Amino acid sequence: MSIMEYNGGSVIAMVGKDCVAIASDLRLGNQALTVATNFEKIFPVTDRIYIGLPGLATDVTTLRERFRYRVNMYTIKESRTIEPSTFAHLVSSTLYERRFGPYFIEPIIAGLERNPATGELSPYIAGADLIGCLNFAKDFVVAGTASDKLFGVAEGLWEPGLEPEDLFETISQTLLNAVDRDAYSGWGAIVHVITKDKVISRTLKGRMD
Amino acid sequence: MPGTPSIQRPTQHQFNPYSDNGGTILAIAGADFSIIAGDTRQSEGYNIQTRYAPKVFRLTDRAVLAVNGFAADGNMFVKKVKQRLEWYRHAHAKDMPLRAIARLIQTMLYAQRFFPYYVYNILGGIEEDGSGAVYSFDPVGSYERETCRAAGAAQSLVQPFLDNQVYFKNQVPPPGRAHPTHLPLRDVLDIVIDAFTSATERHIEVGDGLEMYIVLAKGRTLQGVEAAQEISARTDGERVFVLRRDLKKD
Amino acid sequence: MECSFALVGKDYVLVAADTTAARSIVKMKVDEDKIKTLSPHLLMAYSGEPGDTVQFAEYIERNIRLYHIRNFHPLRPQSAAAWVRRSLAQSLRSRSPYTVNLLLGGYDVASDAPHLYWIDYLGTQAAVPFASHGYGSYFALSLLDRYHNPDGTLEEGLATLRRVIDETAKRLVVAPGNYKVKVVDKNGVREVAL
Repeated sequence: MSIMEYNGGSVIAMVGKDCVAIASDLRLGNQALTVATNFEKIFPVTDRIYIGLPGLATDVTTLRERFRYRVNMYTIKESRTIEPSTFAHLVSSTLYERRFGPYFIEPIIAGLERNPATGELSPYIAGADLIGCLNFAKDFVVAGTASDKLFGVAEGLWEPGLEPEDLFETISQTLLNAVDRDAYSGWGAIVHVITKDKVISRTLKGRMD
Repeated sequence: MPGTPSIQRPTQHQFNPYSDNGGTILAIAGADFSIIAGDTRQSEGYNIQTRYAPKVFRLTDRAVLAVNGFAADGNMFVKKVKQRLEWYRHAHAKDMPLRAIARLIQTMLYAQRFFPYYVYNILGGIEEDGSGAVYSFDPVGSYERETCRAAGAAQSLVQPFLDNQVYFKNQVPPPGRAHPTHLPLRDVLDIVIDAFTSATERHIEVGDGLEMYIVLAKGRTLQGVEAAQEISARTDGERVFVLRRDLKKD
Repeated sequence: MECSFALVGKDYVLVAADTTAARSIVKMKVDEDKIKTLSPHLLMAYSGEPGDTVQFAEYIERNIRLYHIRNFHPLRPQSAAAWVRRSLAQSLRSRSPYTVNLLLGGYDVASDAPHLYWIDYLGTQAAVPFASHGYGSYFALSLLDRYHNPDGTLEEGLATLRRVIDETAKRLVVAPGNYKVKVVDKNGVREVAL
């Protein structure tokens, strides 16, 4: 029995053209028993940053609260909103604080980063392991019980420069087909596509078995 | 523990007769053809033993077998299947039909139920009615006829991709239309190549080379993939071709 | 073995828990009330390690009461659930964690909406339309998937609950004999007969 697979669940994030997408399944289980089918693992951090927290469900809630607290403190002290790359390091140090008694979560961050010189927004995604080792990917990051399946499908479907609607289709197809081969993930999904001027959030129906 | 005398027991050694040699195999059936593919890397742990060790074998002009798992068992198993097929040829003056080969493989695997061949088999070819077929097996002989199947190290990466691209899972057809039950040869080849380049990218045990065996039903031609090399014994029945591609070696 | 069930209907939450207090294979008591009334519109069914359960439930009960006294209003169900969850999550990583599983059912008077939370000893919290703890959940969740109606009347909810309890009694070898059933709605908390 692995702690990382106790509750099940998967998250994926992808880069598009001037946009990013992040998606997760909705299952909460106790090993093989499904307890809830409306358990969200992705949370907004700012207007243009989202964080996905697959792993042990108690730590999903605990970490969401901790990140909310630390981002609020940052916002107050700095009098500005946090940038994705800064937030990624905040996540990393929060996790590494518990190096020898970790939170059992592998976070995934998706957002749009503002260039301080030009003011332009560029896509930013990152993943981390449960002790905060960051992975800055240019294409996509995955985590959770269906991570190997997500790698396989995403590697086959993803291409550079996808527009928001195409990115939505790509990440949705990737997630749905991956979780359908995973007993611990599924039961519907939620997708967020973050663009310059809005965030598109859609709940997807999936196989219920 | 300090102070307590340790009890001396004879040192025991356990011989493990199995190993995992990585790699991935895959087969997809079309209406009148079948493609059976495998990468050519053979590894043990982090060591690459060879960059070219075939996992896909022509059995007859209408049957191709892919074996994945423990290479020594795989090679021995293919050798024994080929031997049984030769005996059949001598006894009946014809090649064994595909569905009979599938049942033969089940019997041969189950015969070793309590010391199994540590291999996953995928058999592809042409059925007696001329349709493309894929049979997949577990190490002790449970089998099933399917349209497509991946097995081996990158099964978990490739199979959901195939569900999407071959079975059109989670895709909705345009209004008034249905998804095709079988794909054309060119499309299937592209899917196979995509599946293996993806698996190579994300799995350390997959790579080096790709061998795709194409089995065509009687009377059908290659149509657009003439680069494939013919390896069939006769050209008036079902025909077998090989197509090779390089995969990344890192 | 211990079983607890809960479901949300139209403007109410039903909470049921068995009434046996057992030690090993011996029934010590058959009329134990394992559903605490935390505040005028909040119920909590608790189960788990004997000793931990009552100790933790009373700790929660007194602190929710303290909040009510200090602030002249009770905690809303959402807030109460969050605080209870956090108590369990902190306990989990302490030297001696509480092994207690909870079902929190409440009626939020401010927004006129019923709420149900499934919480386990790890501090896992889920807002759900129906929930269950113990071996009974293997039957309860399947039945509730099929028969639960979130807009059902109290009579309909009780009928569904009866189905669940009957099935558990029929199919579970270690099924408990008696249940206490409580309901919380806009009028507060009351016990109901099945």
